[in-house]
Amino acid sequence: MILAIDTTAGTTAAVIENQQVLGFSEFDDRFGHAENIGSAIQQALQRAQVTAAGITSVAISRGPASYTGLRVGMAAGVAFATARSISLHAVVALDAVATAYPSENSWLVISDAKRGEFFACSYSGVDDSGLAIRSSELEVLKPEQLEQYSNLTKVDLNCDAKLVGLYAEKAIAAGVELHDATALYLRSPDVTPSTKKRVTG
Amino acid sequence: MIQIRELVSTDIDDVYRLEKQIFQSDAWSKQNLTADSEASHTNYLVITEDEKVVGYAGLSSPPGSFQADINTIAIAESHRRQGLARQLVERMIQLATRHGAENLFLDVRADNPGAIKLYQGFEFEHIDTRKNYYQPAGVDALVMRKEIYQPLVMGIETSCDETGVGIVRGNRLISNALNSSMEIHARFGGVVPEVAARAHLEALKPTIDSALSEAGIEIADLNAISVTNGPGLSGALMVGIGAAKAIAVAQDKPIYAVNHLVGHVGADILERGSLQTPSIALLVSGGHTSLLLVRDLLDDVELLGETIDDAAGEAFDKVARVLGLPYPGGPEIDKVAINGNPYAIWFPRGLSLPKDMAEHKYDFSFSGLKTAVARYVEKAEEAGEEVQVSDVAASFREAVVDVLVTKAVKACAEYGVPRLILGGGVTANARLRELAKQKCDEAGIELRIPKFSLCTDNGAMIASLGAQLVMAGREPSSLGFGSESTMEVSKVQSL
Repeated sequence: MILAIDTTAGTTAAVIENQQVLGFSEFDDRFGHAENIGSAIQQALQRAQVTAAGITSVAISRGPASYTGLRVGMAAGVAFATARSISLHAVVALDAVATAYPSENSWLVISDAKRGEFFACSYSGVDDSGLAIRSSELEVLKPEQLEQYSNLTKVDLNCDAKLVGLYAEKAIAAGVELHDATALYLRSPDVTPSTKKRVTG
Repeated sequence: MIQIRELVSTDIDDVYRLEKQIFQSDAWSKQNLTADSEASHTNYLVITEDEKVVGYAGLSSPPGSFQADINTIAIAESHRRQGLARQLVERMIQLATRHGAENLFLDVRADNPGAIKLYQGFEFEHIDTRKNYYQPAGVDALVMRKEIYQPLVMGIETSCDETGVGIVRGNRLISNALNSSMEIHARFGGVVPEVAARAHLEALKPTIDSALSEAGIEIADLNAISVTNGPGLSGALMVGIGAAKAIAVAQDKPIYAVNHLVGHVGADILERGSLQTPSIALLVSGGHTSLLLVRDLLDDVELLGETIDDAAGEAFDKVARVLGLPYPGGPEIDKVAINGNPYAIWFPRGLSLPKDMAEHKYDFSFSGLKTAVARYVEKAEEAGEEVQVSDVAASFREAVVDVLVTKAVKACAEYGVPRLILGGGVTANARLRELAKQKCDEAGIELRIPKFSLCTDNGAMIASLGAQLVMAGREPSSLGFGSESTMEVSKVQSL
């Protein structure tokens, strides 16, 4: 039984087993991740009528997404897995969305990257396990750069813990490793090395 | 009406009268009673009926001993068999627990089966017998002991650039694991919030794992989790909050959201055994310069003053940059200042002039000082003079330390507080330690500086504050708290 956590948009948690969502909790507030993460996990467990001890692995969403919120969910997932000594799986949010919303032809999954830009990745189909196949790198695109993908079906839907959990379960069953649990920021921190400034004219 | 309250000096005559009536030849002298009840490591309670003393009890719990003794417990003949002794024993156990005792001892006459039974009811065990202890009757004393289980608490600290996870049991330090992102910040000349937050997420699991393995415990053994939720960098705080909440839910443990600055004061408990109050605390780091009056660690912490611009540690970093020294500036300036003359250049003491003291008596300002140093260096360079880096460093350091210590000692004097606790990374500064020692000695103030690993940001101090809340029987925080980057010191716990 998987506990899935996603904070790429709102704060969501889900309990997944056999591709069924047994419990789901969602808090919409885009600035309330730290406040809501504990209750989201607790509610998802309660709604699935399981205790924390019934969870056998944790799946987290590793972005790309807005950094501060993303880290809250990732930190929670890492800590939950550590606290219960169970395995941790980290899912690329765009992969989870792409897998949940496949298209006949190639498709492009995008999400808000702030500063007028988009996180994006294109997909060309679905493999035997039902996982979407990437046909590009994960990218940060400006609006005008999106045009080069105008021939692709655009999927602009939020990720959530249900999608993350369902993706993780399929991937684990197919033997796909989801061990890289580093956050996908896709940008360097916005900072430049300091220089000495004069105080006298 | 029956009441239980703390003994005050005017109760001594009544208590002594009862003592003589009840214990007769074993009775303490009035002098002993007075001295013991006034000692800093004892707590005496009296039971009164309509303001008349009908019973009393005294507990001794020397700081750092991890044990307590019920020195005496007595109920007037006229008021026995009303459950009053039971109430006093309960209160003694609560106090011993709150003071961090792991064992509570008492002596009881072997010919007093009622009292022995009462203590057994509270799980006191008979561990030893002192033959013919009570004279002249030659009655044995039974030594009884109750084990007190102190809470095992994990504290998580991520308010700035240190990922800290510490574990304490009551007042006892068990482990204190730390991962710092300081080196990554070095090339930026200061802590970059986004860089710090990224580093916390990566350091989280290894730091939790090492705190647990160092302590030799499992997360399931914990009684509570505590976490810093302010003040500090929001994005950094949120990493710790997310982790702490998940552990609380995963192991069904209570969670305590606590104040980072008050945590610094709580660090002293891990060395001394309990916090002596009132205390003045001077917390100096790269992020804070705060002067606190702590009348009670959990209920009464007052901010006397703080920096109105740069923190002291920040000033060291900025001046180090001016002098071409690496980050972090504190240790570097300390190093070159050794060979410098601290009186070579007179740099301004911020907010120390009479006109500033009216409004900012205990506030600090280091921004003007930093500018003064930069101006001095630039002028010298323009004039083609060689800058004596060691003199500039020593004079700058003296200006910072002078203001810090002068204001802290002044606060001790004004509020009549005989002790000063230092905390924060800047306590590593050799001159700060030296001058604080000198000025405190002169003023008859006890100076407490915890070891460095407990002075810098760390998880153990957060665990310690959480443990104090548990030991005092406080309610845990709800799961809904958030980060508060500008949290005030008066808010010790977020509910």
